[in-house]
Amino acid sequence: MPSFNFVNPVDFLNMADSPGTYAGDFYTLNFEKNATPGNVILNLGPQHPSTHGVLRVLVELYGEYVLRSEPVLGYLHRMQEKMGEVKTPYQFLPNMGRVDYLNPISWNWAFAGAVERLAGLEPPERAEYLRVISSELNRISSHLLWWGAFVMDLGGVTPILYAFEEREKINDILQIVTGSRLTYNYFRFGGVGADADSRFFQLVEEFIPYMRERLKMYTGLVTDNVIFRRRLEGIGPMDEDLCRRYGATGPILRAAGVMCDARRLSPYGIYDRFDYDIPVGPSNDCFGRYLVRLEEIRESLRILEQAVKSVPEGPVIVAKAPKPTYKLPAGETYFAVEGARGQVACHIISDGGKTPYRVKLRAPGFSNLSLFAEAAKGVILADAIAILGSLDLVIPEVDR
Amino acid sequence: MTEARITEVLKKAGALRITRPDWKKNGLRLSAEIAPEKIQEVCSLLLKEGYTLLDLSAAEFQEGFLATYHLDNFQDPFRLALRVLIDREKAEIPSVASVYQGAEWHERESADFFGLKFSGNPNPVPLLLPHDLPLPPPLLKKPEALASLSALNFLGDELYSAPPEKAGDEDRGKGDGKDA
Repeated sequence: MPSFNFVNPVDFLNMADSPGTYAGDFYTLNFEKNATPGNVILNLGPQHPSTHGVLRVLVELYGEYVLRSEPVLGYLHRMQEKMGEVKTPYQFLPNMGRVDYLNPISWNWAFAGAVERLAGLEPPERAEYLRVISSELNRISSHLLWWGAFVMDLGGVTPILYAFEEREKINDILQIVTGSRLTYNYFRFGGVGADADSRFFQLVEEFIPYMRERLKMYTGLVTDNVIFRRRLEGIGPMDEDLCRRYGATGPILRAAGVMCDARRLSPYGIYDRFDYDIPVGPSNDCFGRYLVRLEEIRESLRILEQAVKSVPEGPVIVAKAPKPTYKLPAGETYFAVEGARGQVACHIISDGGKTPYRVKLRAPGFSNLSLFAEAAKGVILADAIAILGSLDLVIPEVDR
Repeated sequence: MTEARITEVLKKAGALRITRPDWKKNGLRLSAEIAPEKIQEVCSLLLKEGYTLLDLSAAEFQEGFLATYHLDNFQDPFRLALRVLIDREKAEIPSVASVYQGAEWHERESADFFGLKFSGNPNPVPLLLPHDLPLPPPLLKKPEALASLSALNFLGDELYSAPPEKAGDEDRGKGDGKDA
């Protein structure tokens, strides 16, 4: 029989009256310095179910109201930027599938694109189409998982199972070309890793009408649910000014009414060839951000529909693709793509050596999370969870 | 048009040198060297122009630390790099968190990785690394591995250089025509 010994029992009753004197690590003590005596300091996480990974949020509560909060990061920090400096670009590329495990294709694109810019490589046409198709499929699957997890945060446990059904289909499709179901490493410098066969395109074509039908069901099942809407409407408004001060991008910014999407405003790849809209939110609250993401799934389906029909034949990678020992030419580049969560960017400085001199990864989730403390000021705790969910966080990406 | 306006703003704020990198290769429209004590002023002027801070990317060179602030405009994309060269011995730079609140985290991250100090940061505790990490900042390089900033020269055509030259506005008008 294991026995549990409670060494140093904490006097919870007196703790709130005299902050700083009892339990708590470095971050709690740092947070408590500015706390008002009598208020409760609460740790959400690092293993709270609604934080999607190991995010810890310190909150100061007055009753049920959040007076102050501070996210504590670093629990999933892997020093990706150091790894970028000690490996050749080719060796570092698989890491891009692991920065954001829900939307790896965007990270693939950001890093491969940055290297291509510096090296002056132009991927062949067919590769460009495969990049768009895989990227949009991945965007949908990322939004689907967010959708299920977000509804689950708010107390609706079943919808995530529906989302996983669609997500499985996308995983099956992407598995054909990438060989994996998570942490895709599909892009190569100057193209993509594998060609797609007819089965791939057929499955994508079948998926489009199927997903459209499911989206209708989502509306009936979740979006129009009165409890769900009351949890979200008017909660956590984030306007353009807030987004600008914190550098928030992606659906958060678009819900604030700004049509900002790298695919449209500074087109990369072949995104300028397709006819699609950039959904802009009807409102800048949690519900607006929810609607923008669902609308983005529809627009991604539109891009897929057009892309699948017009894929040309040909090679999927340039003839002289960089070898594993490839050295980047000296110089600097900054390349940004639109990921599922916002602007994903790579800043590379190379001195012409074996490995890049500096690799900086711009994670959209990092900037998006930084506005949480301001957005959650004065709301009740349950609404703070809704706000956290509406930010669509992937902690490995935030911590890198 | 945007280029002329932003060049004017940067000049007014006291940029030391403004260059135009190659957009296709470098992914930047303008690059400006800023003195450390001017960075706050430049940022607040750019915030008024509608710019947001995308990230802060520091790197170590022989000459010192180069902090590169990447900014962009949501509606009228025109990506800029503000570069601040920081003295190695002092390694201190004013925080811009009072202008761009999101900079607080970017600065704390750079403080973790390079040991830089951002004076005026509202919460200068480690962000991504443990507070009691028994190691030097991880992205510092060995002295023999340091590259020379002047040798790299990735800044592109020079548009403006601060006095003593008194170069004034000499936009040579050979832009790529995509600035509007």
